Amino acid sequence: MVMLVFRKDWREIRRNWQILLPIVAVPILISIVLPTLIIVTPSLSSISGPPLENSTSMMKNLPSQVREELAGMSAWQALVYVMSLYFFAPFFLIIPLMASSVIASDSFAGEKERRTIEALLAAPLSDSELLLGKMLVSFFPSMIVTAVSFAVYSTVIDLFSFSLFGGRLLLPNLVWIMLIFGVAPTIALAGIGLTVIISARVKGFREAQQISAILLIPVLMLVLGQVSGAIFFGPTVVGVLIGVFVTVDLFVLYFGIRSFKREEILSRLA
Amino acid sequence: MPSIELNGLTKKFGLLTAVDHLDLVVEGGEIFGLLGPNGAGKTTTVRMLACLISSSEGSAKVGGFDISEEPTKVREIVGILTENPSLYERLTVRENIEFFAEAYGLYDAQERQDRIRELLDFFQLWDRRNDKVGKLSKGMKQKLAIARTIVHKPPIILLDEPTSGLDPESAKGIRDLIADLSQRENHTVLLCTHRLEDAEKLCDRVMIINRGRRVVAGTPEELQDRIAGEPTLQVRLKKTDQAILRAVKEVEQVREISVDDTSGTLLIAVDNLAESAPEIVTKIVYAGGKVLEVNIHRPSLEEAYLKLVREEKS
Repeated sequence: MVMLVFRKDWREIRRNWQILLPIVAVPILISIVLPTLIIVTPSLSSISGPPLENSTSMMKNLPSQVREELAGMSAWQALVYVMSLYFFAPFFLIIPLMASSVIASDSFAGEKERRTIEALLAAPLSDSELLLGKMLVSFFPSMIVTAVSFAVYSTVIDLFSFSLFGGRLLLPNLVWIMLIFGVAPTIALAGIGLTVIISARVKGFREAQQISAILLIPVLMLVLGQVSGAIFFGPTVVGVLIGVFVTVDLFVLYFGIRSFKREEILSRLA
Repeated sequence: MPSIELNGLTKKFGLLTAVDHLDLVVEGGEIFGLLGPNGAGKTTTVRMLACLISSSEGSAKVGGFDISEEPTKVREIVGILTENPSLYERLTVRENIEFFAEAYGLYDAQERQDRIRELLDFFQLWDRRNDKVGKLSKGMKQKLAIARTIVHKPPIILLDEPTSGLDPESAKGIRDLIADLSQRENHTVLLCTHRLEDAEKLCDRVMIINRGRRVVAGTPEELQDRIAGEPTLQVRLKKTDQAILRAVKEVEQVREISVDDTSGTLLIAVDNLAESAPEIVTKIVYAGGKVLEVNIHRPSLEEAYLKLVREEKS
């Protein structure tokens, strides 16, 4: 029954451009367009001077561990190395969060808005079967999009770094694997749980999506922290993030499951 | 055993009592109409019976299962047509009905396909099976929604405003299909409607509810008699005069006479119409009246219903 709900929602999502557009466009922007504009294109013109001295505050505030990694690199190589492995890391947290909350908004609040929820709730499916089916359809596509984006980004960066670093491939590395397969699932689940809670209280898809965008704030703070050099996505930070988001997931999913009540959902039909 | 049984069923939303101690028994195979104006509590009653919302007081059994204690069992044996068709517009006709067939337990693929084919043929939707529901007309969507409602052959069907929003022709089509289906598959039907025509043409018995309370119940004919009074005898004459009126008044069963001057019709309220009508006509003829037309006027359920709702408001 869980897979029945999953298949039904998946068919609907595949045919909904309102959902597909952001899920496809944002990853393309983050994994192809931005790296090309920020890393590849400037690198085609040579950067002179000693390493790290002509760059951003992020470059100036690099922790000693990263500085050690840059030892012996030219300014150009150092910049490409830091931008590729550190600068873009938090951007990849936006992808699972955005994808999961957009799909979950449509799956939960969208059914209320389109008034299809009543017949669904009248069917002999348990609350947990319905909830799990809808959570899976929000979770799997967002993880697939994240993993594919990571593969594309790695290819773009490696194609470029292969010649720049004399045959060395920068990605994947441990931190990025932890990020994509550790932080991204937990952040996607947080997005789904929050959207379930919100969807139970709002009447429509857009309202749910707008409110669930609130979860982007901590992710954007991570992006700003990285750019300003306040935090760096090393193994420790990524490990801490996994722990934080697992805790957030437990809270959000607990309240999400509690808020998924047939009567509550119907009482707030548009 | 009754198919549906309500005992003091009540639903409160805060201070508002939407359904107020409703008692009702629907026997197996019966088409029972729940009539009432908008906001009377019909949809809330259906939602409670379909286990979509809980009751505040009282109890109800559907197919012998208590709605509070065995909601999943109730959902399995009930087919509900909600006020809105509740169809997935981005899915095809076939995908919609397949989803619900499986959700209601038709796991055997061949059995499921046979049933879907049977229903889509019956509702003349087979040729549109691969079209997205969003492309269908309102009438077709309603047909599909009814097909979805009965896909698992539920013994009990709850229909909430099945002809609402349809043009008269489509509404008649849906009514005919419901009548045909209930005969073919012997469903027990609880039909909620504010369209008197639906109740009059489909229902074995009806109950009028208002503000969540039972107002009156019975067969459509009983309600017509009880609410709007006995039928009247209408005699259209070429010319009326006092002699004719005196002659009619001599008949013992005559209670009241009035004259519609514009049409020259005598409106005669009588006891035991079947016996007294020939005597009244004979008296009129002997008094010199020239009879053009004789009719028995029975107030429609609609007239009866409107009278009742006016009384309730005042």
